Amino acid sequence: MEKIAKKFTIGKVVLWTILIIVAVIQLFPLIWLLDFSVASSNDMFTSGLLIWPEPFHFDNYVKAFVDGHFLLYFKNSMLINTLAVLLVITISIGMAFACTRMHWKLSGLVKGLILLGMMIPIHATLLPNYVIYDKIGLTDTIWALLIPYVAFSLPQGLFLTCGFMESVPKEIEEAAMIDGCGIYRIIIVVVAPMLKSSVVTVAIMTFLNNWNEFMMASTYLSSPTWKTLPFSVLEFTGLYSSNYAVQFAVMALTAAPVVILYIILNKHITKGVAMGAVKG
Amino acid sequence: MQKAYSNKAVILSLVLPGLITFVFAILAPICLSVYYGFTDFSGMGEATFIGFANYKELFHDKAFGRSILNSLFLAIGFVFVQHPLAIITAALLERMGRKAEGFFRCVYFLPNVISVAVIAYLWKFIYDPNFGLLNNIVKLFGGKGDINWLGSGNAIWSVLIVLIWHGFGWGMLIYYTGIKNIDPTLYEAAAIDGADNKITFLKITLPLMKPVIEVNVTLAVISALKQMETVYLLTNGGPGNETQFMANYLYKQAFSSFRYGYGNSISVVFVIICVFATAVLNRIFKEREA
Amino acid sequence: MKMKKAIAALLTATMIFGMTGCGNKTEAPAAKDAGTEVTSDAAEEAAADTANDTASGEAVTIKVFSNLPDRTSGQGLVEQTLFNMYMEENPNVTIEVEALDDEAYKTKFKAYAAGSSMPDLVSVWGQPGFIDEVIDAGVLAELNEADYADYGFINGSLDGFSKDGKLYGLPRNTDVMCFFYNQKMFDDNGWSVPQTYDELLALGEQINAAGIIPVAMDGADKWPLAIYITDAMEKIDGSGVMAKTHDAIANADFSDPTFKQAAEMLKGSADARLFQNGFEVTDYGTAQNLFTNGQAAMFYMGSWEMSMANNQDIPAEIRDNIRVFLMPTVEGGKGKATDISAWNGGGHSVTANAANKEEAIKLLNYMYRPDGWTKIAWENGICMSAQDFSAYATGNETEVQKQFMDVIAGATNMSGTPINDMGTSDFKTQCEDLTQELSIGSVTAEEYLEGLAGACAQ
Repeated sequence: MEKIAKKFTIGKVVLWTILIIVAVIQLFPLIWLLDFSVASSNDMFTSGLLIWPEPFHFDNYVKAFVDGHFLLYFKNSMLINTLAVLLVITISIGMAFACTRMHWKLSGLVKGLILLGMMIPIHATLLPNYVIYDKIGLTDTIWALLIPYVAFSLPQGLFLTCGFMESVPKEIEEAAMIDGCGIYRIIIVVVAPMLKSSVVTVAIMTFLNNWNEFMMASTYLSSPTWKTLPFSVLEFTGLYSSNYAVQFAVMALTAAPVVILYIILNKHITKGVAMGAVKG
Repeated sequence: MQKAYSNKAVILSLVLPGLITFVFAILAPICLSVYYGFTDFSGMGEATFIGFANYKELFHDKAFGRSILNSLFLAIGFVFVQHPLAIITAALLERMGRKAEGFFRCVYFLPNVISVAVIAYLWKFIYDPNFGLLNNIVKLFGGKGDINWLGSGNAIWSVLIVLIWHGFGWGMLIYYTGIKNIDPTLYEAAAIDGADNKITFLKITLPLMKPVIEVNVTLAVISALKQMETVYLLTNGGPGNETQFMANYLYKQAFSSFRYGYGNSISVVFVIICVFATAVLNRIFKEREA
Repeated sequence: MKMKKAIAALLTATMIFGMTGCGNKTEAPAAKDAGTEVTSDAAEEAAADTANDTASGEAVTIKVFSNLPDRTSGQGLVEQTLFNMYMEENPNVTIEVEALDDEAYKTKFKAYAAGSSMPDLVSVWGQPGFIDEVIDAGVLAELNEADYADYGFINGSLDGFSKDGKLYGLPRNTDVMCFFYNQKMFDDNGWSVPQTYDELLALGEQINAAGIIPVAMDGADKWPLAIYITDAMEKIDGSGVMAKTHDAIANADFSDPTFKQAAEMLKGSADARLFQNGFEVTDYGTAQNLFTNGQAAMFYMGSWEMSMANNQDIPAEIRDNIRVFLMPTVEGGKGKATDISAWNGGGHSVTANAANKEEAIKLLNYMYRPDGWTKIAWENGICMSAQDFSAYATGNETEVQKQFMDVIAGATNMSGTPINDMGTSDFKTQCEDLTQELSIGSVTAEEYLEGLAGACAQ
């Protein structure tokens, strides 16, 4: 008993220390960001790590919110990402069903072809896609982002969905089939609900991948109509080059929505990522 | 019933949307890249066919060589620094109580959900040699605090640190799940045999995690090859071409140097390298399993 | 001073007016056009000939692509003010602006040029490194040079925008490269403006000893370093620097000792810690902030930054004490103190395939009327236009403005286009990379010159 108690203290202290150090490393830059986002620009040049701003410049956030076109860009980002996620999920489920359940000669080839997409770097298509989109008038439209986002998330989505679908028992579908259900109804009513966890995983991965993207966006878009959230940050460095505090505010502001979303959905996201890891 | 499962029209309707997207957004541009790669197209005006001249030049291009080496450096950094750290942290975390576990997991993963644009700009400030956070920390510990983090010689390490920091939570979470899935009776058996923590980790956890590690290593290598956004905003390949990466270099050639044809030839080689690397890694891991 | 405030207020007012107008721009012009305009048309017709065609015309949207993202101060404000004035005078015209930072601008410009949807009016640089390939590809519309005979463009300023005797754009400014310095800081520490290059290095040492950065240098963008070399060449060789660089690039031969000496000067300055630690990774904004926050005593940049003296974001004790001096003379050099590093760089062009070419040219001409850009830019202390601005001297100029007026008036020679912008755009990227590598010692002066020659050969 005594031995266990001793081990408990020393071991636990070391354990806690290590984990806290890692946590501080992961978190401190973000705290620093928040701290200086409410400071004045000149405070940047003090040598302390953190400061107590006097007064708090919450007006930095007002500037960031208004001049960073936060609402518009946030709306665009959400819309484009949500659409991409929905499309990827729908297409993946359909394709996965066709490739794992149905009988046709080319199923292996088609699946392999799409999965090949996982190895193709998205930036390698940056130049030629510009020419293509320009020719057919897609530049500066939502499609210029949506198409590549869906195309490059699809391979991973298909891969995961296929993996899950193989573990779904066939008997239920077969029973439904005997009851006279068509293929489409089987997919929507029987199969899709059983793929819930895979859908969550695919959704999260697609969302996180595309949320980060800005190279395509900055090359293909010109008017603010469809610009996404990273533009708030990118445009601000030119606009407020002499005001660091406002730059920090805009960075904190653009990071906030997903961070909040993550904290709320923490459990589901963890589960989703984990599920993908095991299947992957 | 067999008939329903081999209805061509239904199959086509299920497969076509995906196939069209793939052909339109991936295959067609790559074919176009191959075509432009054989020309001296500047991005404007006429394109002239110049055969393999671009590829010959690429072969001697020091900056391109540097890009490949940098990808390799990143891959090694991910595999030998980030992943071991992630596995160890995951193994430690697994021993915590439920509440603490959830908290740390959340904190570790947090940087991951922040967009690269924010991360890159934030770290630019952190690394600033004259008023950045990092040098202020160095000063706090008694150093001079005048390290030029993004300067020549340091820059590639600094890029690596940002990427490790940003992606740490993801790796940690995946390994954590892998460890969670290990049958607890194995640990109990080991404890009865008198194995201490270190031995349990080396003899049970690591071997059982092999498939997870393999997948993660493959993903790490690919992401090292594909690296673009962070470098583009943090250093844009500089100083000189010291932190150049393939994706960034093709962008620079096409849009800064007006060499669209050459940029496309880089695209083509870039795709080949990525496909090749994935194939090789898969082969290696498969053979070892067999 | 009061006068300037009044103008600033006026500008802000037009800005705000313009901005609120933007919100409902789709409906507003059409509505106005149908109602009030028609009645007033007849009265105005005789007087205003620019408004003549447009006012009665249908709704027109002119797309502008600009390298001035900050629309509320500096040159961006001047540009936006002119646009707002134009829209007010021509209610059927809507001007849509897309603006990006220089580097992002150039990248996007090339993407646009590769496609078919060029905006109508664009920012350009009248330097071979940018404009030659653009003109050759037929992207820019030809302008009628005779139209600008009485616009007061200074001698030779249109040359960079012309090719084979045809004019493709108009220069916005006369740019002079200089050291901005903080007079108060100099006085407080007993430092004086250096008369020779050696004195500059010695001064740098003194300032370093005081724990202050001598010169804030934007080395991450690389081009200021290349201009530093051009500046050095001007002082080493005196006149004919541009011709010499031109020949060197044409023959891929940089063996002239001027190049080597200039390269060594840049390296020497960096080695002597004249620039801040990590200058090669410090971008424009950061370098400027080091200066405007009193961390650096000097800032190496072009005359377009004279507007710092009016920038309310900069603390008054620094803002009011900004002065300039030029690259000092070099011992044994042929260049005089009055041989300056100056050129006409940025400007505007109309694109060849513009949807509204005629309208865009009208707007361009409107902007460049002598009492357009020139007047507004000078009266607000923002920059010196490439036109004769002496008529707009108000007597209320800032100290910096007065200094620049003297510099221009007393100039015995101008360097012309800096070295990095003299070749193709491929030469530009390679030259700028090499210059940065030279400054941090990754390549020697010899390797630098070899590299430059190699970049021409391709």
